[in-house]
Order: sequence, then structure tokens, then C-alpha cells
Amino acid sequence: MDEPLRRESHAVSHPMKLRKSNNISNDFEGLFHEYWASIQRLLLRMVVDPAEAEDLALETFFRLYKYRPAADEQFNIGGWLHRVAANLALQSIRSFKRREQYELKAGKDALEESSENQPSEIFSEEENRSIARLALTQMNARQAELLVMRYSGMAYKDIAAALSLSPTSIGPLLLRAEREFEKRYRALTQEAER
Amino acid sequence: MNKHLNEGQLRAALDGELDSEGLAHLEACSDCRARQKTLQTQVERIADQLTFLSSSVKDSHLPASSALRLNSAQAWRRFNQQKLNRKEIPMYKKIFSTPLVRYGLPIVLALTVILAVPSVRAFASEFLNLFRVQQVRVVPVDFTGMQQLDGVVGSDISQLISESITMQKEPGDPVNVASTDEASQLAGFTVRAPEGATPSRISVMSGASFSFTIDRAKAQALLNEAGRSDLVLPEELDGADVSVQIPSGVSIAFGNCPEPSNESEAERERQRELETSGSPGRVYANCVIFSQIPSPEVSAPASLDIAKLAQIGLEFTGMSTEEAAQFTSTVDWTSTLIVPIPRNAASYQQVAVDGVTGTLIERPSDDAPQFALLWVKDGILYTIGGLGSNSQKALEIANSLP
Repeated sequence: MDEPLRRESHAVSHPMKLRKSNNISNDFEGLFHEYWASIQRLLLRMVVDPAEAEDLALETFFRLYKYRPAADEQFNIGGWLHRVAANLALQSIRSFKRREQYELKAGKDALEESSENQPSEIFSEEENRSIARLALTQMNARQAELLVMRYSGMAYKDIAAALSLSPTSIGPLLLRAEREFEKRYRALTQEAER
Repeated sequence: MNKHLNEGQLRAALDGELDSEGLAHLEACSDCRARQKTLQTQVERIADQLTFLSSSVKDSHLPASSALRLNSAQAWRRFNQQKLNRKEIPMYKKIFSTPLVRYGLPIVLALTVILAVPSVRAFASEFLNLFRVQQVRVVPVDFTGMQQLDGVVGSDISQLISESITMQKEPGDPVNVASTDEASQLAGFTVRAPEGATPSRISVMSGASFSFTIDRAKAQALLNEAGRSDLVLPEELDGADVSVQIPSGVSIAFGNCPEPSNESEAERERQRELETSGSPGRVYANCVIFSQIPSPEVSAPASLDIAKLAQIGLEFTGMSTEEAAQFTSTVDWTSTLIVPIPRNAASYQQVAVDGVTGTLIERPSDDAPQFALLWVKDGILYTIGGLGSNSQKALEIANSLP
């Protein structure tokens, strides 16, 4: 039998153990330090602009701060943070007017930094990433969140908890989302070639 | 399991997420394995397109300048700074650009009742004290000591206020007008505008009036719940009737400013969109709002010892008993509007403006620097507020008034 397609599954989450306090306030700083880097990286990979990624990462934690899950909830904090971050990034890509400028800059930097590589190939990879980001923004929110969470390395049980779904439903929903993504990606590629 | 696996199960198997029963079937069933192989080709193609999302892939495609600029300790400091900013920005927006009552009832009450209602019989009948703003004083407050006002206690306070209040006149939505003449006509006083500057919007905010009766027991219970049972509200507070009248005001906006009427869902959506596309400091960096409003009037029973209430309010915000007593003794509670500012994050100075002495408050910040210039002249309270670091703009506007 084949190896699993994606073996990575980093520790993005564990059901949060809420202690003593009646909300997350007492544990909030610890959670912030634990998840900051992974949330910031996810956002950076999605929006490319570091300042925007930082703003959105802070916004993600503000939402957690405001949400204050109750003590008896088995709250999957990593899943929740990744979902909110994914959503904010998708919104930002839709509305952030400087996006194109940064992506263009990203492509140029890659060209300059890898002169021994084949420039045309690198630029084309960057174009592909831009198209993939756009395709994600065109999908319905839940499908896009599902893809971002899965392809950033989350396990099914964490995705399921974040989206309030059963873990066994993730496989079929993921497949549907992937097909939808591919359809939109193809359409955008054809449009770009014209 | 004899039944063949469905596509969803085959997809889960590719991620190593199929349950053991399904896996056992897959190992034994060549038909399912063949279908999985076909699916794998499709999924690998998509995975290639989305591989940039993967945490296990080196971020080499990102520009060199994209290195993570904030470690978690730096980010935590910035988070806390922004937390204070977020408390402040709505307050500035509320005070300077929106009808006071609709958006800032708790703030108005905090400003005008807890801290600013007079303690001596100044202007009114023998039963009532009447308060009018004639001057502005700034009080530095430690907002970090007020975290308990978030959440449960905060919502209890809002509930207490909303239950005990009677609106005599509801404020309407702000109305945009074409000229200062039109604004003067609607607002009922002569509106001033700086010469030589073109406003991006002139809005008239209609006035409001309301009254409420204080329930001492409930208010004390809230103080206790907030962990300040050492602060005891005076008995005479119970049953005190307080009424507040807020006249119509006018705000004149320059540059790209938030809409004063953010009641509609579409507008709230636009605000959210704006705020997620960058911090408010960036989005509204060139916004300056010049507001003017005749002094609000507050009347309260003469028996209320306002200095004492102010002392409690100040101690609640983190002042020591001695500091609060010292501050309270230097304030004329019949005529002073108290403006709280964050103790460690803002500075203020007295400046000559419009022929009187005003107060310029500045708050430096990476994300949302703010400034506000306040003064009172001929019974009108003037404020010029903005997000950005160019507080000189406020002085320029003030000094170009006719």
C-alpha cells in the first residue's frame, strides 16, 4: 500500500485544558507564545507581506482574547486559531490592494536571489502561487478554510474540531474542496494565458 | 468490512487518516487500491499547487525581507499595546465623531456623572446641581488596572445602565450636510470652520436627553465583583435622580475618516474589511475630525457629594487614595470635563488655542498614533482629533478658525 500522501502533521493543537479560571485569561499569555510563530508563518505564506501577516496574526489573537471559550468546553485552540487566521488571510487577499505589488516583489526577489537557477521557471512558480491564492479566495469560505488547514499540516481531528464536523467527514469534504479548487485554478490559468 | 471504500475514505487513506477497519479492507482489496492510485494522481497534482501553504516547506519563495520580524515576546508586547489602543480608538471615535449617547453611553456617564457632576450648588435651584463644561482637565489613568471591566463585569455594568435609564429624547442618526450654514441651522448654534480647508464631510448629530435613578446596592455589588469591595459608595447615592441633556453637535471631517453613522450592516462590514486590511492607524492616517458641541448639562441632587464619588472613580482606575484625594481637591466639579488618558502611553500639554488655553493629548504608537486637542470657548466644547502623529494639523485648524 502506498505511503500516506502527506506525512507531516505538526502539533497545532490539543484540547485546551482550562484550569481554575472561568475563561482563558489566565492562560492567554502562554497560549500566545505557544502559537504565535506557527500562526504568523501560516499568514506570511498566505499573504506574503510581512507587515500584513503580523497585523493579521495579532488580529487572530485578539479574536481569541475576545472569544473567551468557557471552562468546560473541550476547545481545540490550535484548530480555532488556524481557522480564524485562514479566514483573515483570505479576506485580506481579496481586499488588500497592495497584494499584487508584494507578490510581484516576491517574484523579483526570488529571481535576484537565485541567479544560478532558471529565472523563468522561478517566476512561473510564483505566478502559480498567486493563481492558487486567488483560486482559494474564489471558493466558498468553508472549503477554502478546509484546504488551508489541511495543506498547512493539520490533522483531520483538529480540522474537524475547528469546523465542528466529524473527523470521518473530512475525507469526502476535502476531496470535494480539492476538486473545486482545481476547477477554479484551471480557469484562472487559462484566463492568465489569454 | 466487505463493502468497497468510498472516495472520501480513499482520500483519507492518502493522508494516513483512515481507520483501522478501512485500512484492513484496503490492504486486502486490489480494486480499492487501484481506485486509490487514480485518486492519488489527482490529489498529488493539487498538492503541488498548494504546497506553499505547508509548514514543512522552506519559505524560500518569500522575499528576503519576509523573515519573521517579531518573535513571540515582541509580538506579546505589541499585542498589549494594541489592546490599549483598541480600547482608546473607539473612545476617541465615540467622543469626537459620533453622537455621544448612542455610542458612548457608559463613557458619557463615566465622564459626566461619576467624575464631573458638581458638588456645590452652582447654577440651579436649591434641589439640583447643574453642570456645564467650561474647562477640560486630563487625568492619567492606568487602563491595565481596568481589565476587570471587560467580560462579565463590563456587561453587568452595561446592563445596569440600560435597565435604569429613561430616554427622553433619542439621538437620531448623524445627518450629512453640504455647508456650515446648513449645519448651523440644523444644530441651532453658529458652527465655525477653518478657513482655507475643504472638509470631506460635515455631519450634524442631533441632541439627546435621558435620566436615570441610581441603585446603590447594585452598583456596590458590581464594585465588589470587580474585586474592589474596599471602595464603598455613599448611602445618599441610592435613589438619586440624575438627568443629562446633550445638545446637537457638529463634526467636520478632513481626509479619509470613518463614517460617523456605522449603524448599517453594510457599513459595519466595510469597517471590518477596512480594519482587517491594515491597522486603523494606517487606514485613517490622514483623518482629522473637528467637532463642536454646546456644553452638555447634567443635573443631580444637591445632596450628592460628587468629589467623594470622583475619588472612588479615580481609585477604581488605579490611583492611590492620596493621589485621588489630591486630584479631586484641585478640580472645580461644577464646570470641568474630565478626560481620562492612558497613564503610560499618552502625554498631554496645555497650549494656547483660539484665544483660550486648550489641552493637546498625544499618543505615540507604531500602529495607531492618536492626537486630540480640546478647548472650551463661549460655552462650546471644541475637539480636534485624529489618528496619526501629525498633531500640528490640529493646531493649524484651531488657529485658522474665524
